[in-house]
Amino acid sequence: MPESIVYEAKDICKSYGSVTALEGASLSLRAGEIVGLVGDNGAGKSTLVKVLSGALRPDSGTLTMDGEQREWQSPRGALDAGVETLYQDSGLCPDLTVSGNVFLGREILRPGLLGKLGVLDKPALEREAREALDRAGIGFAGVRRTVNQFSGGQRQAVAIGRAVAWARKVVILDEPTNHLGARQANEVLRVMRKAKEQGLGVIFISHTLPHVLEVTDRVVVLRLGKVVADEPTANFTPDTLLKVITGLSQGATA
Amino acid sequence: MSSNTRTNRENDSAVAAADEIGGGHEPNSPQGRLKQVLMRQDVILLGVLIAMVAFFTSMNPLFLSTNSLANVLQDWAPVMLLAIGQTYVIITAGIDLSVGSTLGLAGVSGALIIRQLHESAVDPTVAIMLGLLTALVVGATVGLINGLLITRVKLAPFIATLATMGAGAGAILVLTKGVQIAGGPREVVTLGTTRVLGVLTIPLLIVIVILVIAWLVLEQTRFGRWNYAIGSNSFAARAAGINVDLHLIKVYMLSGLMAGFAGMFLYLRLGSGSPTSGSGYELTAIAAVVIGGTSLFGGSGKMSGTVLGAFITTSVLSGLILIGVGPYWQQVVVGVLIAIAVGMQQVGAGKLKRGATSA
Repeated sequence: MPESIVYEAKDICKSYGSVTALEGASLSLRAGEIVGLVGDNGAGKSTLVKVLSGALRPDSGTLTMDGEQREWQSPRGALDAGVETLYQDSGLCPDLTVSGNVFLGREILRPGLLGKLGVLDKPALEREAREALDRAGIGFAGVRRTVNQFSGGQRQAVAIGRAVAWARKVVILDEPTNHLGARQANEVLRVMRKAKEQGLGVIFISHTLPHVLEVTDRVVVLRLGKVVADEPTANFTPDTLLKVITGLSQGATA
Repeated sequence: MSSNTRTNRENDSAVAAADEIGGGHEPNSPQGRLKQVLMRQDVILLGVLIAMVAFFTSMNPLFLSTNSLANVLQDWAPVMLLAIGQTYVIITAGIDLSVGSTLGLAGVSGALIIRQLHESAVDPTVAIMLGLLTALVVGATVGLINGLLITRVKLAPFIATLATMGAGAGAILVLTKGVQIAGGPREVVTLGTTRVLGVLTIPLLIVIVILVIAWLVLEQTRFGRWNYAIGSNSFAARAAGINVDLHLIKVYMLSGLMAGFAGMFLYLRLGSGSPTSGSGYELTAIAAVVIGGTSLFGGSGKMSGTVLGAFITTSVLSGLILIGVGPYWQQVVVGVLIAIAVGMQQVGAGKLKRGATSA
């Protein structure tokens, strides 16, 4: 065990009316670790992601950060605690510039009275957006241009760059390689490894099993709202992982 | 060459170069730049406005006279006030249909208070200030109701403001029984019509100050930035920690507040509160915003465009009267302008999409 557990969800339950999305799911994450979260559609991945990111409050169960029990009232709480989430396909505002997106909700204001009136420090925003994306390993062009002028792969790079740049402890990436070409997907995996090197805990949700097996240290499999496997990635082959996901077998070693 | 599509540490310098040329699907030649400037919506609008002024003036030189200009400004101001609020609202991908009836309700409420105070021999200035305050409170309250209906009851903005539009129009009739509210102090008309600076009256100067502030807030502040963000992708805005509901409530209150100001502006101009003074204004304001290039889908739009849009919609009226066509054609001309403006946006959006996928 190289690092201590930075973020942990225990026995999380969540239902929507009569539909049970999560039934006692648990997940732990260490600093500098990439955990893959996989499962079929409707297994509860998105619900678990929303609980972890503060967008949903669980019916029961606990969230622990650095050994301390936490409760998020809103995404803001989780963000302030250092948990960044990139949601599937909807992380950016296409009409804002790259720097506007990188700093959305964290705008830098001018010093003094103007700042108190909410006036933006636009040069600082642009400069720091460039630096933040550099830090995340995305030396990205054109922070002044609006996001809708970029291709899907470029947008995804900005979204991931923003998440990694701001995360202080945990970054959650929901299907970040969806709709990307092979080369762009590799780039995403590289950024994830860089985040890991920087000591962040990374949760990687994906349907693309080769990507999961390539980049993660551990894989957690959800089925019908329950964790059915939580094992080191090395124990799985694409074939055995698929069997666990679909319920044909109980675990990599079973 | 795709170094600006995908970046490696090895080609950072190539990326920096790509940054300089701005990603490269716009030609960087001087002609390209000129084309870019000429294609900007506000530049086109300015051209349209100048062409209109030139046309009307050639038909009747009186169009450019001081009196005519003063008239256009008096028509422009209440539309502009409503359009300020409407610009904020439409950028969040909403709509506020209630502003016309809110204008009327705020105007007659202010007029009633001023008449009451005047009859009780209160100082005219104090009476007018309290009337203004009443109008603003009424406007902001309708805005608050809109905001709560949209964020708490989860009504679509169109439905929520349609409901308050109808309720407001009814409340006006309840308050006034359908008659004009006159009987204020003489100072009302003096304040509303005395020119203090060329063609400008004190209420007009206030409108211009409000416009400048609203413009700066939209372009330079965090509030403005969040406004665009919410209209562009409210899910992303929420995920970024922005309190979207609170922001929307503020924006609809701003729109109601502007309607309150507009109600008092018309009251001061006419010297009485008319129960029908606001009818049709919501459509003129929405037209000004849409002609000004703000997308009804939210996320984009500029106050400069709205200002020009408001001038275009209101000077059409004066112009048509002065060239002898008559006021009834105004609606037709504004309708055609809306169709052209939205049509141009569609073409522009299509271009942007093609540009992005080919990058």
